[in-house]
Amino acid sequence: MQINKQTTKKSGRLQVTTCAQNDHETTFPFWFLLQVRSAAFLMSTASTKQENEEPQEEQKNEQEDEKTTLEEDYSVPFKPLVTLDEVQVTTGEEDEEVLYKNRAKLFRFDKQGSQWKERGTGDIKILQHKETKKIRLLMRREKTLKICLNHYVNPSIQLEENVGSDRSWVWNAIDYADEVADECVLAIRFPNSEQAKKFKEAYDNARTSMQKLAKASKDSPQKEEDKEQVSKE
Amino acid sequence: MASNLQTDGTNVPTFKIILVGDGGVGKTTFVKRHLSGEFEKKYIATVGVEVHPLKFHTNRGPIVFNVWDTAGQEKFGGLRDGYYIQGQGAIIMFDVTSRITYKNVANWHRDLVRVCENIPIVLVGNKVDVKDRKVKAKQITFHRKKNLQYYDISAKSNYNFEKPFLWLARKLVGDPNLVFVEAPALAPAEVHIDDSYKAQMEAELQQAQNVALPDEDDDM
Repeated sequence: MQINKQTTKKSGRLQVTTCAQNDHETTFPFWFLLQVRSAAFLMSTASTKQENEEPQEEQKNEQEDEKTTLEEDYSVPFKPLVTLDEVQVTTGEEDEEVLYKNRAKLFRFDKQGSQWKERGTGDIKILQHKETKKIRLLMRREKTLKICLNHYVNPSIQLEENVGSDRSWVWNAIDYADEVADECVLAIRFPNSEQAKKFKEAYDNARTSMQKLAKASKDSPQKEEDKEQVSKE
Repeated sequence: MASNLQTDGTNVPTFKIILVGDGGVGKTTFVKRHLSGEFEKKYIATVGVEVHPLKFHTNRGPIVFNVWDTAGQEKFGGLRDGYYIQGQGAIIMFDVTSRITYKNVANWHRDLVRVCENIPIVLVGNKVDVKDRKVKAKQITFHRKKNLQYYDISAKSNYNFEKPFLWLARKLVGDPNLVFVEAPALAPAEVHIDDSYKAQMEAELQQAQNVALPDEDDDM
């Protein structure tokens, strides 16, 4: 929910007071600052008390309104530092077909600390390029939509189980989420084991397709001749 | 102020964002969550300041926030005022399970605006996932008096975790409807794995397989 209600009038007045106070503070000695500090503290305690003594009837809708009120924009108008034009958004997925998509949580193994660290929560996708037919795993963190997983499905890499979890898979990857090669061990956890099973099916299908693709390009050696190594098993 | 605006060398607008608040409220964990996705439970006090660039893709193009993650503990404070100079936006964080960290918000705010007179500031109450909340929503009034934006957040559950940066972006760019959009997913490189390399990878995999994932009771 986005609330952009402005309380400019009230806020404007408060802002003036704040500025004046600040200008003075810089020139005052240390003991005075301490006093200002404790005065400010007393003031804030006093007003908290007032808030607590609100009439009971108002408290009814409060839980509902609480969040709205809490997140209301009390800030004064601010002159932006830059103006930026709207841009055409390119996801990089425009030429791909979604073969699979499900919400999940991704982890990366910290080899030194021998522990799993979260990489992100969001939708994991298996995407196939419409022309090249190559298939990749792609995942973005929800809300910020940053990439936390991005690599081609490798026919020789299988999903393995993780101890103590029936809804997770572990695999090796050379991942490009941060646009540079990251050799890592990853784990993906789904809300339940049923969904985890579906993911494995989709992944294994993708593996088979990529295997065929590698074989096909091996048969036409002028194209990507070094792909041989991948299909060696 | 506009003349202070920097770019990262590729014409991406870059802003200096100051992150302050008492020690242990979760400032570094919050930044790490945005950087790598991880959630660090261990408390390691930040010494001085650590600057982390956080890139966001918006419907008005990419922007970078250089986040100055400062030491909350007095004894590790270092330069303080020096860190605030030319700050273009700020986040003041407290911990909703610790009343003293909310009381100290006034001090952090005073120190901040003494150096940065008129910058957009967000107040955030972290750890709202904890059941035993000490600073209740209606006790949080400081932002009204000082004209700040406020958000309840949880670095652990990701609740509202994007909101502070989204709000700052909207203010700094001057578009109340600015949204985060998909970062472009470039085609990854094709990798070739030979047999000896695969053997090495498999050893690492086995090690990882035998370490349980954290929070298996997490219902997502």
